[in-house]
Amino acid sequence: MTGWHLDDDTLRRYVEQTDSLAEGASAEQHLLSCEPCRARVNAAVGVIDLAAVWDRTRDAIEVPRPSVLERLLHGAGLPAYEARLVAVASAFRGVWLTGVAAVLAFAALAAAVGHARGLWLFLAVAPVVPCLVVASSYDPRLDPALEPELVTPYPALRLILLRTIAVLALALPAVLLFGLVVPGETAFAWLLPAVGFVAVVLAASTWVSPLRAAIAVSCAWLAVVWLLAARSGSPEAVLQARAQAGFLVLAAASFVIFLLRWRRLAQLRPWR
Amino acid sequence: MDSGPSDETLLAAVAERDMSAFRTLYERHAGWLAIRLTRRCNDRDLVADAIQDTFVAVWQRPRGFRGDGDIAAWLWGIAIRRLVSRLRTRRGVAAVFEHPGAAPAAEDQVLLSVEYGDIGQALARLSPEMRAVIQAVVLDGLSAREAAQLLDVPVSSVKTRLYRAKAHLRAALAEGPS
Repeated sequence: MTGWHLDDDTLRRYVEQTDSLAEGASAEQHLLSCEPCRARVNAAVGVIDLAAVWDRTRDAIEVPRPSVLERLLHGAGLPAYEARLVAVASAFRGVWLTGVAAVLAFAALAAAVGHARGLWLFLAVAPVVPCLVVASSYDPRLDPALEPELVTPYPALRLILLRTIAVLALALPAVLLFGLVVPGETAFAWLLPAVGFVAVVLAASTWVSPLRAAIAVSCAWLAVVWLLAARSGSPEAVLQARAQAGFLVLAAASFVIFLLRWRRLAQLRPWR
Repeated sequence: MDSGPSDETLLAAVAERDMSAFRTLYERHAGWLAIRLTRRCNDRDLVADAIQDTFVAVWQRPRGFRGDGDIAAWLWGIAIRRLVSRLRTRRGVAAVFEHPGAAPAAEDQVLLSVEYGDIGQALARLSPEMRAVIQAVVLDGLSAREAAQLLDVPVSSVKTRLYRAKAHLRAALAEGPS
């Protein structure tokens, strides 16, 4: 600017930090407005690996911003990398959620509009939604991100349980909300069956792929509901205390099996 | 010497997500920022983190520069505050209080008296703690709170040290060169 520049000695002392405060302050003031002198200082940097810092900086800005769900999970206390592992589950992709919501809305609407058949439909659909969603949250065929995840030394059990909890935290309130539209106690009768089915899917996935397990469970449930409807014509049967207790036992037993066998989780081997 | 585009042009290109302009900006400024930061904090990893934070912040908010003054000064303002906030999360890292050659050699004395008059000697006579406060508050323009975080001392100490340092300087300058 003025033609005055730091002389070589001052510059060297500045870089080596062997100058006085006044001299250093003067040099810094000059550097702020003098590009040539800044370039000379840049050339003298030896203490910090600026190329490495650049790589990290570029990595940091190229990482996509975490999704809303990820930030929510992180805020709830999960470490950032776990929040990401949970959030990449395919069940959280918008399409899945919309599909699930649509099915439920349809069933709840049918039930609200009236006759027993609509109620049956809700009872048939609502309990199997959570287990289908959970299965899809860790079925390797639906989640291309899962395979690389599982070659890393990360506890698969923890990942699956975390995802299951996160999925249920999302799916249950949704189903409950739709259930409010449904008249009578049927709205909540599906809760225990739903929990039981999730546990069955977790346990069964130690033998077969989670999605296959969930589909089998769903088909079995549909068959049961259909039989009941054909025989008694009333959804009350599922509401009986004995039936509900049965679902509770089913849930507990399945969960124990899962905990005993989780090391054999089917999805640890790629399913083709 | 450098006939490339001005910093302002580069920053405008960064706002348009131009990675090569960003790289040029980094190459022009990361070095001297790193040197200046290591004069405030002797932990090189922390300084490297602060540099990274600074440029990430520039990438995310390139329009934070309002067009007044030098881009270098704007960058420094970001960098020193990033360093402060990094220090906040890592207690126990010593900020630099004393320069190795704080007592100026004879030829420096000459230089100082030529260039800075008595103020250089007056500053040199301050205790390292007071010099650090003067540097943080007066020269770097930090608030008392930020300076306290940088130097890892209570805010009240920053204020008293600053007050005493000013009093010392005033007395030393009134007294004249010794």
